[in-house]
Amino acid sequence: MADAAIARTTAAPGEPSTWERLKVNRNWLGLWFMLPAMAFLVLFLVYPLGKGLWMSFTDARIGREGRFVGLENFEWLIEDRDFVRALIFTIVFTFIASAVKFAIGLYLALLLNNNLPFKAFIRSVVLIPFIVPTVLSAVAFWWIFDTQFSVITWGLVKLGLLDRGSPINWMGDPTMAQGVVIFANIWRGIPFIAITLLAGLQTVSPSLYEAATLDGATKWQNFRYVTYPLLTPIIAVVMTFSVLFTFTDFQLIWAMTRGGPVNATHLMATLSYQRGILGGNLGEGAAIAISMVPFLLAAILFSWFGLQRRKWQQGENND
Amino acid sequence: MTATTSDPKAMPAPSVAKDDHSEGMSYLESLPRKTVTVYIPLIIIMVVLLFPFYWMFITAIKPDQDLLDLHGGNPLWVGEPTFRHFYKLLFESNYPTWLWNTMFVAVCATFLSIVASVLAAYAITRIRFKGAQTVGGLIFLAYLVPPSILFIPLSTIIHVYGLFDTPFALILTYPTILIPFCTWLLMGYFKTIPYELEECALIDGASRWQIMVKIIIPLAIPGLISAFIFAFTLCWNEFIYALTFISSNPNKTVPTAIVSEFVDGDVFRWGSLMAGALVGSLPLVILYAFFVEHYVSAMTGAVKE
Repeated sequence: MADAAIARTTAAPGEPSTWERLKVNRNWLGLWFMLPAMAFLVLFLVYPLGKGLWMSFTDARIGREGRFVGLENFEWLIEDRDFVRALIFTIVFTFIASAVKFAIGLYLALLLNNNLPFKAFIRSVVLIPFIVPTVLSAVAFWWIFDTQFSVITWGLVKLGLLDRGSPINWMGDPTMAQGVVIFANIWRGIPFIAITLLAGLQTVSPSLYEAATLDGATKWQNFRYVTYPLLTPIIAVVMTFSVLFTFTDFQLIWAMTRGGPVNATHLMATLSYQRGILGGNLGEGAAIAISMVPFLLAAILFSWFGLQRRKWQQGENND
Repeated sequence: MTATTSDPKAMPAPSVAKDDHSEGMSYLESLPRKTVTVYIPLIIIMVVLLFPFYWMFITAIKPDQDLLDLHGGNPLWVGEPTFRHFYKLLFESNYPTWLWNTMFVAVCATFLSIVASVLAAYAITRIRFKGAQTVGGLIFLAYLVPPSILFIPLSTIIHVYGLFDTPFALILTYPTILIPFCTWLLMGYFKTIPYELEECALIDGASRWQIMVKIIIPLAIPGLISAFIFAFTLCWNEFIYALTFISSNPNKTVPTAIVSEFVDGDVFRWGSLMAGALVGSLPLVILYAFFVEHYVSAMTGAVKE
């Protein structure tokens, strides 16, 4: 205490010490406030990202540092039928799932934007698939589409659409299994898109619709020329996220099929886990993971700029 | 509803026009029409969205012999419900341990992330140090880096730090997913707090730290709750890191344990599996039921910026 008092008196009034000045310096303060977040992100995000890039050029295995092998991993992968198959399926999976999620999500948002009884309740119920951990709902789908005891098969038999003697081999047939995982991904993704788009819809003033209707606009025109242009910015963001998380999906596939049957449902993320962690070829696994990056960047740029440019065009010349 | 008040017919009773604020033009639609265009599609979508949970629940309370006999009776209903699967889950397996692990990891990781995010968001929006804008942009970019391209290099790093197969492997890595999201969300909240409050406090001699703790944080409580709930849900849901960094049974979290521990060879114990999935989702659903509004605002707030 005494020391502090002396220190304060010795510093001439009106001329604060270096320490005093440092204490109110924006940059110095900013650095300290940013430190915890930066420490986490640098240690566990930026560093691994760099390390992953480096590992993709090495032949690292579990328990052994790799040697630099240049592009060898990537050359191997291009020749690898399973990798090419996973790459194609990842793109198809992302494309179909995102498109359907967007269509149904937007439709659901428009439905929920009506004047409904128990609206708040319905909205919270719709979000439940998004709250429940993906793996746990994947387990439910696993059982719903079980080859022998599928409730869907039972339903189809009851409706007379299917012969009881020839059940559908949901998870055993490659094409069928691909359809099932795409369906499960769509099921899981719809609530997020619907609720975020609904938030966007609610900011559209009803007077715009009234004005358009007085001018003779039909329901479709109301949607096409009022709702859609006003919703474009939020659609761009939501779809960017949706594409990103669909492309890098891991847990749904791993919980439902582990990439089977005959590697038909491998996404790049699951293949990377299988080769890198289970197979022990860390270098090859890292190479698979790194080869997702260009596609991710392309997807982000496409959904971002594609939709943003639309918005500017519409602002300029009214489409 | 400015449009209706300018309508001469609405003038005598403007309060009525205000009351049906949310209705818009929906009075123009007849009930039968609305049934076909709104209620029926809505019901179909809701049934599809909720059926898996119903089926999970029914499976979890069915006796074992009924599970594998679809055509004997109506599989959508249970004649004699049993709680044996739940009993086995809670008293004859490691399930309570896994539940505890998940809870412990989620609470710690969320807490760490929120502390780091509050500091970061405050610094970016209010201290405005040199390069604050850039740092904000970089944090948003960090949000776009998916865990599935990081888990392989991270697993070697975790080994080197000696964290493999400990809860700390998860507690320290989850914040990389949570901090970008929470920071971005809190930045939005902090921006809505008026500068004047802070200026007053500065004049009264408060330090930056005091301003943040005594003024900004109390005002941003709704934002903090939103961030907490959403981050907690993300932790609970996380799978790939938990699968890669944790190997021994008693250290597992619920999502990873469910898919690996309920399978004896080729025999799936469907009843226990479904009971486990239900119980594992329950804490989140309860939390969600109490804080729906916060949850929705976190979700929409994150994409609005």
